[in-house]
Amino acid sequence: MNGDILQGFMQAVQPSSLIATALGSMLGISVGMIPGMTISTGIVIVLPLTFVLDPNMSIALLLGLYVGGMMGGSFSAILLNIPGTPSAAATALDGHPLVARGEAGRALGIAILASFSGGLFSFFCLFLIAPNLADLALGFRAPDLFSLVFLGLTVICSFAAKSLIKGLLSAVIGLAIVSIGQDPVMGTARFTFGDANLLSGIHFLTALIGLFAIPQLIENLRTAEAGRAPRAPKLRFEGIWPALSDLRRIRLPIGIGSVIGTFLGILPGAGGPIAAFISYDYAHKTAREPAKFGKGAVEGIAAPESANNAVTGGALVPMMTLGIPGDPVTAILIGALLVHGLAPGPLLFIERADFAYGLIFSFFWANIFNLIIAFAGLRLLVKLIAMPRAILMPTIAILCVVGSYALRNSLFDVYVMFFFGLLGIGMKWLDMPVVPLLLALVLGRPLEEHLRIALTGSQGDVSIFFTSPFSVFFLSLSAVSIVWSIVSARRSSQAGAAGPGFSE
Amino acid sequence: MLTYLTRRNTIAGAILLVIGVAYGLLTVALPNRSLPNTPGPAFFPWLITGGLILLSLALLLQSPMRNGHSSSQASPDRLETRCLLALIWFAVYLVLLPYAGFLAASVPFFAGLMWLYGERKRLVLTLASVIVPVGLFYSFRLGFQILLPTGVW
Repeated sequence: MNGDILQGFMQAVQPSSLIATALGSMLGISVGMIPGMTISTGIVIVLPLTFVLDPNMSIALLLGLYVGGMMGGSFSAILLNIPGTPSAAATALDGHPLVARGEAGRALGIAILASFSGGLFSFFCLFLIAPNLADLALGFRAPDLFSLVFLGLTVICSFAAKSLIKGLLSAVIGLAIVSIGQDPVMGTARFTFGDANLLSGIHFLTALIGLFAIPQLIENLRTAEAGRAPRAPKLRFEGIWPALSDLRRIRLPIGIGSVIGTFLGILPGAGGPIAAFISYDYAHKTAREPAKFGKGAVEGIAAPESANNAVTGGALVPMMTLGIPGDPVTAILIGALLVHGLAPGPLLFIERADFAYGLIFSFFWANIFNLIIAFAGLRLLVKLIAMPRAILMPTIAILCVVGSYALRNSLFDVYVMFFFGLLGIGMKWLDMPVVPLLLALVLGRPLEEHLRIALTGSQGDVSIFFTSPFSVFFLSLSAVSIVWSIVSARRSSQAGAAGPGFSE
Repeated sequence: MLTYLTRRNTIAGAILLVIGVAYGLLTVALPNRSLPNTPGPAFFPWLITGGLILLSLALLLQSPMRNGHSSSQASPDRLETRCLLALIWFAVYLVLLPYAGFLAASVPFFAGLMWLYGERKRLVLTLASVIVPVGLFYSFRLGFQILLPTGVW
């Protein structure tokens, strides 16, 4: 075990991996801070590169982007009051009032430090929890694995949907799409209409590019004001390093945010926005001067920022150990690993423990680079807010085409990507979340595989799912998740409020 | 009178119901290759068919019941002409791509999209629409060994 940890560490500190991590962080911060861009879109930009880079570099690049994007989102939230990512929405509540008081440097400095602290805390949790959870998961049999994947799907649907029915419908559409191609147990061709391109099914990453990037291109077009981007604010950046008095004030909120963020990150589907708002609420309740919240309280920046960055490490726990994505970005990471023939799950820690630890340490370095790049390049990075959309968006459109083509050197995938783009636009029009569909594309195949293997083993007897304690535990949690989401959907419908959703 | 979102939900429910039934009909045609008492290739698609039909019906039934609440759920989005033009332009680009090749198809596509995003300066339009696609083409070809379509001519 120790040898694997050392090997993983050595992989993560290879110059190529470090450069990829730093590049990813820089790109992530840039993407995160540009309003109208999400981390998922940022990943679309680098996706073609990951096909040709070695797995260590690919994953280092993507992790850097993931972590950097979370931090970058807070910059535009603080400076412009426009959250770069949904996770940064809570940061704007107290970040922007500080800017209005002429304390932009102070607000950004606290956001950077809180992000780093949350990320670092979640790294330690990832390092300690992931290998042990993987050990436990090694004992899972087909019924347990089915129940686990089912839990992942139900939790994700309930969290990602404003309407439970629409969330579930989105997931079922995803399952229908995943059923195209050879079935995972017997290899029978299904719904291929005799087309050889469909035999291997719809590639998850192609669907992802279309679902996330194309609707965003259209959304940006809708909101584009004659191609103009928001102007880069002219600000004074004195006092970026937090003062000692501020450090004392943000200790507890950072602790609260880090714990909540990591915990909710581990829970599939909860995501950064929920973690950020819950942490903000707790920080508000435990603050000495709660009346200052919403008017520029540093605690109100520290809590959500540490939380949304802690989510990143938490989300990697189920992704690495169980193959269950916690959010869209970890779903993409699974896709990127699969392209390189690496299947996330408990066996990753047995068969490629060096790689698994390398990934964990790359996550650590991503947080370190984030801190360095954010503090050192803040003045330069802020100018990116004003990047012209008229050049940025067409470039992304072309990268969508290149990314989907490069996957299998096939124009068929490009057309599939465009189809998913139209599907994404249609779903947006219907106010239907795309995240359950995306995650069903990832989880659909293992769901069917484990279900059929379990039922084959039991000769069609469904009681097999109620004999294993793990399976019973996961199914009970699924039931709780469904009931909870029905209750919360009713409450939010009564209150006329939108439910939580995420689209990092 | 139905609100905007409720009407959309009704349309979506109806479309998805049709898709669910069509998916079920395609599932019927799947070969039945399995041992006795074990699930075959059509087993999972049947579950999906059931899910699609039940949930579509639920959406259809829920829509009139929610009438009155829905207006607060989302603001009605209008697919503006500019967005529609962009999608058509994208589709034309994808049709031309295998024949014209990446470079010849991407330059006008890029320029067209820039124009739709509001760029009106001819010099910026021309330079960006040539530099970006050419730069990407050679970056991928020389840097990452990814051969993008070169066309039939």
